[in-house]
Amino acid sequence: MLELKPMINALLRSKIGAVLLLIQVAITLAIVSNAAFMISDRLTYLNQETGYDEEAIFSLSVSTFDPSINLVQQYAQDERDLRAIDGVIDAAMTNWMPLSGSGSSSSMHLVPNPEIGTGVRAAYFTTNEHMLNTLGAKLIEGRNFYPEEVVHADNYGKLPNTTIVTKDFAEELYPDGSALGKVLYQGEDAVEIIGIIDTIKGPWLNDSRPANVVIFPFNLSQPRTGFLVRTEPGKRAEVMAKVEELLLKSESRRVFYGIEGLDESKASYLARDTLVMRMLVVLIVVLVLVTALGIFGLTLFNISKRTKQIGTRRALGARKSAIVRYFLIENFLVAGLGLVIGAALAVLLGQQLMKVFSLPSLSFTFVLASAVFMLIMSLVAAWGPALRAAKVAPSIATRSI
Amino acid sequence: MLWYYVDLSWRSFKRTPLVSILMVIAIAIGIGITMTTLSVYHMMSADPIPSKSEQLFALQLQTMDEGEGWFTKDDIPYQLTFKDAQRLMTDAKGDAQAAMVRTGFAVHLGDESNAPKLMDARATGRDFFSMFNAEFIHGGPWSQSDEDNAVNKVVLERSLSEELFGETNPVGKTVFLDKFLFEVVGVIEPITEHTKYYDLNNGAFRRAERVFYPFSLVKELEIGTWGNSNGWKREMVTTFKQRLDSEIVWIQYWVQLDSPESKANYEQYLKGYIQEQQKIGRFARKEPKYSLRDVNQWMEYNEVVSEDNKILVLLSFMFLAVCLANILGLLLAKFMRRAPEVGVRRALGASKTQVFVQHLVEVGLLGLFGGLLGILLAQLCLWGVRESYSYYSALAKMDFLMLASAPIIAIVACILAGLLPAWQVCRTNPAYYLKTQ
Repeated sequence: MLELKPMINALLRSKIGAVLLLIQVAITLAIVSNAAFMISDRLTYLNQETGYDEEAIFSLSVSTFDPSINLVQQYAQDERDLRAIDGVIDAAMTNWMPLSGSGSSSSMHLVPNPEIGTGVRAAYFTTNEHMLNTLGAKLIEGRNFYPEEVVHADNYGKLPNTTIVTKDFAEELYPDGSALGKVLYQGEDAVEIIGIIDTIKGPWLNDSRPANVVIFPFNLSQPRTGFLVRTEPGKRAEVMAKVEELLLKSESRRVFYGIEGLDESKASYLARDTLVMRMLVVLIVVLVLVTALGIFGLTLFNISKRTKQIGTRRALGARKSAIVRYFLIENFLVAGLGLVIGAALAVLLGQQLMKVFSLPSLSFTFVLASAVFMLIMSLVAAWGPALRAAKVAPSIATRSI
Repeated sequence: MLWYYVDLSWRSFKRTPLVSILMVIAIAIGIGITMTTLSVYHMMSADPIPSKSEQLFALQLQTMDEGEGWFTKDDIPYQLTFKDAQRLMTDAKGDAQAAMVRTGFAVHLGDESNAPKLMDARATGRDFFSMFNAEFIHGGPWSQSDEDNAVNKVVLERSLSEELFGETNPVGKTVFLDKFLFEVVGVIEPITEHTKYYDLNNGAFRRAERVFYPFSLVKELEIGTWGNSNGWKREMVTTFKQRLDSEIVWIQYWVQLDSPESKANYEQYLKGYIQEQQKIGRFARKEPKYSLRDVNQWMEYNEVVSEDNKILVLLSFMFLAVCLANILGLLLAKFMRRAPEVGVRRALGASKTQVFVQHLVEVGLLGLFGGLLGILLAQLCLWGVRESYSYYSALAKMDFLMLASAPIIAIVACILAGLLPAWQVCRTNPAYYLKTQ
């Protein structure tokens, strides 16, 4: 540690190199800690639990364009055909697909219109008694729909009077007790909660309440609708490949589309966020590499400028290890100062980003972790040049002035 | 002189290949990353129709009652009710106007030759084609009388026409949209390149529709929307008729106003229309607002360029700064090592300015190489973007402007970074180095 004072003096005498290194380290830390924070924020979102066995479920949509087809009968037949396929566990018709980004939502109230009361927004599926089994949703309280409860219709003339809701929705509507058996109002129509299921996510993962989901026993047969199918593990691809042909055989005046696994729907819904995350990762990795390269180069530069000084020290009896230590400590000092400034810069940048964009505030743990990481990186980058400096022969000191 | 400097630079480049290549790589990485984010940003925010963007206006009307808010910044719905759109179309007070809505059909020829294909179709007014610079290959838009009488006429995009009818001119032939028989009246080239600016609430970078048909058919054939519908009023809407009469907003509306006078006139007309509607109980608020935003304002209002893209551009420029600091360091090292040589040149009569310029030329050359390599890197990154997110496939490209600006940004950045090292080296005192040799 006795070396500190001469070291600082030496640094002060050739400021440019040190200042450059410092700036680089500071900006890098500011970017890396903010980007790492954004990545982690994004990762939590991308990896959230959906409540489904995504690899076992797929969806398909249909558009029936011939008005002479009896939709209620045809779709009931389709469901039976789907369930009869080898490898299919269950299938249900539904208006929207989970995790797809398209759906319907509505406010559910504790009192009927026009009274104003607590309202909780939820995504809703109109489907039938096969839905729970198809989704693999776990019933926590109450029961599934009875087949006779399900309204089969091609219009809104008769509406169902029961519903099954997720526990997330139930807890938001009734924070202090069980919602089972309670009555809900969608507009003026009353429905009774007959079952509560474990968390499943609705159509929108970026919703503020993605798990507010309500299921109605309403098999609404419209020209455009969809089916969800659950297969045995490993049999999904096989079933997906033949399903279109099979259903067209029973009625050809329609178009099937959107035959995709739930994991695929989710991936395409999340594609943009995944892309941004990947770009941030590339940015960080390349940036750290470039900074490491910079440290490497500057240390080399410093050493080449001081070849004679090193030779003299060696000639005067300094060990190789002392030379290595000298350059590592020097690097540590400059990088350390850069990191302190960089930490302040990172917090500042985080605040600005938060102000201008809708980002959560930067947690200081990320700054700290990034700083430690970069300190190690800077030492590793300086290691090679420092070893090279130690190889300078003492005889250098004796040559020329 | 310049060629001499370039020659010197090239010799210097060859003398220290490792450091030179490191510098070129550093600038190339910086430029590659920056150009990737900048290109996407540039494509997203570019004016999609420069010749007319200031004459085309998206119309919004604040139809809700007093006390009802909306989820837009200025509390005005993005879309119009059907009844407003229809009335404005009938009055036709703009220089051109087009109500429109995104719908879709199973498209087929009614025989076994093609399996029906589900696709987007736009119901719109006949002015749409002239307003948005549609380029007709065959035929033209449907006539005003077709529009008034809701005749089943359709305009196809070339790619679809070729899928259905091959290379032949399909005008006069028929095609089924769902169960409805339509006569083809025209074939157009794709109407947008990447940003579907006329319909920003169904995904700004979605591909443009390939099927267009008269707006009057929406009512006639009871065609539902494939876009958003939003309501605010408690009203019973179960039939299509009720939907058309309701306060639900689901129709987009564009009007072309060629001059400031015609815009002023149109605003007068809108105010009159709102007052007239207030008499029958609609627009029940103190000061119902309307808004006419031109194409670029409309893109800004709809936040076509997302926050993520702005953050990425910001970060990548900071990244470029780090690369430059890096190059600055390497340049210092390189130039200082050359001090003895510079000492000799100075002693032989080269002026400071000449030495300074010589080194800047060398730095500029590095920037040029780095910029060119950076373009390659950016292409690689953009390919990754397209693979990762197909929705951006038309966007993640470099146009001529971006290709040209990459080396320019690189050279300017390098010269900025080179100022200090060049200054240092040209101050070299010749006597000192001549002595030590």
